Amino acid sequence: MISNHLLDVVMLTEIGLIGLALSLYLLHGVWLLFNQRRGLAQTERARESMVRLVNSTVVDLEQIESLRKLPHSVQTKAFLEVARNVSGSGMERLRFVAQQVGVLDHARKLCESRRWTRRLRGARILSQMDVPDPLVLKLLIDRHPALRAQAAEWAAAQPSLPVIAAMLRLLADPATQARFAVQTALLRMGAVAAGPLTTYLERNSGSAAEAGLRVAESLAEPRFEQVALRLSRTADVAIRTAAAKLLGAVGGAEAAERLLELLGDEAFQVRAAAAQSLGRMHHWQAGSGLSERLRDPNWPVRRQAALALRAIGAPGVLFLRRAIKGNDRFAADMAQQILDLPAAAAG
Amino acid sequence: MTDTLRMGFNELLVSGKIVLLIYFVGVNLWYLALLISSMLELRRHFLLISEESRHLLLSSTLSPTISILAPAFNEEASIETTLRSLLALQYTNLEVIVISDGSTDRTVQVLIDRFDLVPVKAIYEQRVKTQPVRSLYRSSTYPSLVVVDKENGGKADALNVGLSFAGGELVCAMDADTLIEADGLQRMVRPFLLSTEVVAAGGTIRVVNGSQVKYGRVVKTAVPTNLLAGIQVVEYLRAFLFGRLGWNRLGGNIIVSGAFGLFQREAVLSAGGYLRDTVGEDMELVLRLKRLSHERGGPGKVAFVPDSVAWTEVPESTAVLGRQRDRWHRGLADVLWRHRRMLFNPRYGVTGLFIYPYYALVELLAPVFEAVGLAALALGLASGAADWRFAGLFYLSAYGLGTALTAVTLIVEDVSFHRYETFRDRALLFVWALLENLGYRQLTVYWRLRGVWKFLRGRKDWGKMDRKGFHPLPASGPRAL
Repeated sequence: MISNHLLDVVMLTEIGLIGLALSLYLLHGVWLLFNQRRGLAQTERARESMVRLVNSTVVDLEQIESLRKLPHSVQTKAFLEVARNVSGSGMERLRFVAQQVGVLDHARKLCESRRWTRRLRGARILSQMDVPDPLVLKLLIDRHPALRAQAAEWAAAQPSLPVIAAMLRLLADPATQARFAVQTALLRMGAVAAGPLTTYLERNSGSAAEAGLRVAESLAEPRFEQVALRLSRTADVAIRTAAAKLLGAVGGAEAAERLLELLGDEAFQVRAAAAQSLGRMHHWQAGSGLSERLRDPNWPVRRQAALALRAIGAPGVLFLRRAIKGNDRFAADMAQQILDLPAAAAG
Repeated sequence: MTDTLRMGFNELLVSGKIVLLIYFVGVNLWYLALLISSMLELRRHFLLISEESRHLLLSSTLSPTISILAPAFNEEASIETTLRSLLALQYTNLEVIVISDGSTDRTVQVLIDRFDLVPVKAIYEQRVKTQPVRSLYRSSTYPSLVVVDKENGGKADALNVGLSFAGGELVCAMDADTLIEADGLQRMVRPFLLSTEVVAAGGTIRVVNGSQVKYGRVVKTAVPTNLLAGIQVVEYLRAFLFGRLGWNRLGGNIIVSGAFGLFQREAVLSAGGYLRDTVGEDMELVLRLKRLSHERGGPGKVAFVPDSVAWTEVPESTAVLGRQRDRWHRGLADVLWRHRRMLFNPRYGVTGLFIYPYYALVELLAPVFEAVGLAALALGLASGAADWRFAGLFYLSAYGLGTALTAVTLIVEDVSFHRYETFRDRALLFVWALLENLGYRQLTVYWRLRGVWKFLRGRKDWGKMDRKGFHPLPASGPRAL
């Protein structure tokens, strides 16, 4: 049986906990009352100083000194706010001021911290202010995926060959986050990444090549054609599919010819991708092959074939109309649906 | 004879109340563990997202495509506003599919008129059996908009039809009256980019009552002055910021709100889509996905994203709220019953050993224990088997620590998201948190018990759910979503 003493102890503990929680809430309210206003005033002061410094061509030491006196969190917040809204010479002036105030040195120190959360914060400050610091480059091989992703984001604004080479190695990163960040960064770099990416695709296969193919498809540079043709012959379905899409993006006679072959591929994903690509290329000579795919046993292939026929214009529409009158009910229905689509939705 | 009976009765009450006390102390200790877990998780989350550049997702054509599935039933008054706000969400690869679930009002006509819809041949790849589709429309001005008009079959059926039409790698299931914040999807997609193991993700649902809504967006937040709505604000904050966030760290969630959740489309289709004959279709799907990931292999992680926010209107009348809570509890009982073989089954890992038992013993049975406790306490006090000291202890165990946890949750909300910025709002929240245990909590016990009773009797109806809406709404039809 539980003794009364024990009941008293439990009850007092519970009352104590409730009292503590309620007092915490009230204390939090009091803290807010005093600190929120002070914090807002500091942020406002920082913003004003920043705007004056960035807009002025002379260095106002007084403003820099007043910024220096603010807490790191307020300084960083104000600098990053402005960084999102300036570029070119404005950004250069901002970086100069940040260096004078000590924000950049603080960020560099954070980048070297043993705690990943601090390194991440440091990398984010340097990224958002486009600071070309080799410290961030080193983070491309950090053990935490969030750091590698952040470093990749930084690298998008530093498109040099060593940076691109380091980024390409990350296309095989096991962490999705890092891979996605690298793909996006390579896309943001644009044509400058196309050459190294071609070399990379020539030497790699598997999931690494797949990640690269997706970037290549968005970059759509003609120099990817040969590598896409080679990869369209690999055994891996995902790679063949990605290669088929890339062929559609780069275009060309050889690409079209290969895509026509891929319309008969054993994997439905590849057939669908090939149909989609032929539509993207507006390759009207593919009309007959695509109309055959309207009778494909697989839904996505039929749909992509019909969309491609609509995309290639009058000859394709003719094939669709013929399919409506044909014996194959599935092909007829699909053709009808795609012909019904308003132009905006058929693109 | 009477004395023997009385003594026996008193003894039963005394031993019963000790069992109850132990139960409540155990539950409270578990809540404390959840609270600590949620605070650690929130800290980690904020460290990860602070100063991140989410806008990069916007510019990237490599972001996963998302298909929003918006089931609508008789929403003619609000569908245009809702849809415009969906089409304006900040996400690049977005497709919006509105599924009119046999609406008997002008929902479809309003959509046709306002969004330049044209009928197209209604064929689709049916991977889940559903009610027939009456017609399919595409827009001449919004390429990413698809409207499906189908026979009435309930929300699960409408979502299954949506799944068949969806082209996205991810599907976002929502209610037609949910207001998703402009960057809600950008935030919600994050766990899918972090891990290929994630099969579903849920966001925070906040109460819109009292706040100002313009063009389908919440433009000014405020705590409602209505008692029921106000207390529900506190309840929702506690459920999401403390419950779901806490589970994120302790092995994952098994609930993704039906009002706003993101799923891997292929995983949902492989699992057979939403189950139609349950009122807890959202939880059932998540638990099934988790179960199948253990049985067949494949992704099975369910993430909660606290900063991805959607707003929903909560009932302001006891009758409607009662029906909602009764339905939720019936759904919980039904889902747990369907997947009962997971209970304490090591094959299902943390889900079988901890999460499922928590939902069965704490979430499902709490109202039973609470009701028995209250009844026994009243009897005990009347018969002299319990004294006021024990009554005080019981009350503190059952409700006191809950109030303390709520107070801490409110602080966490204020420090992390601080959506309620004025002194008035903070004071009101505090008042609602204190008032919650004086009548409201006991009412929810009654509603939840009613839910258990109806489940035992096999009732599967949704009940009529009236909403004030952001515009006046017409009356409900045969089967509300």
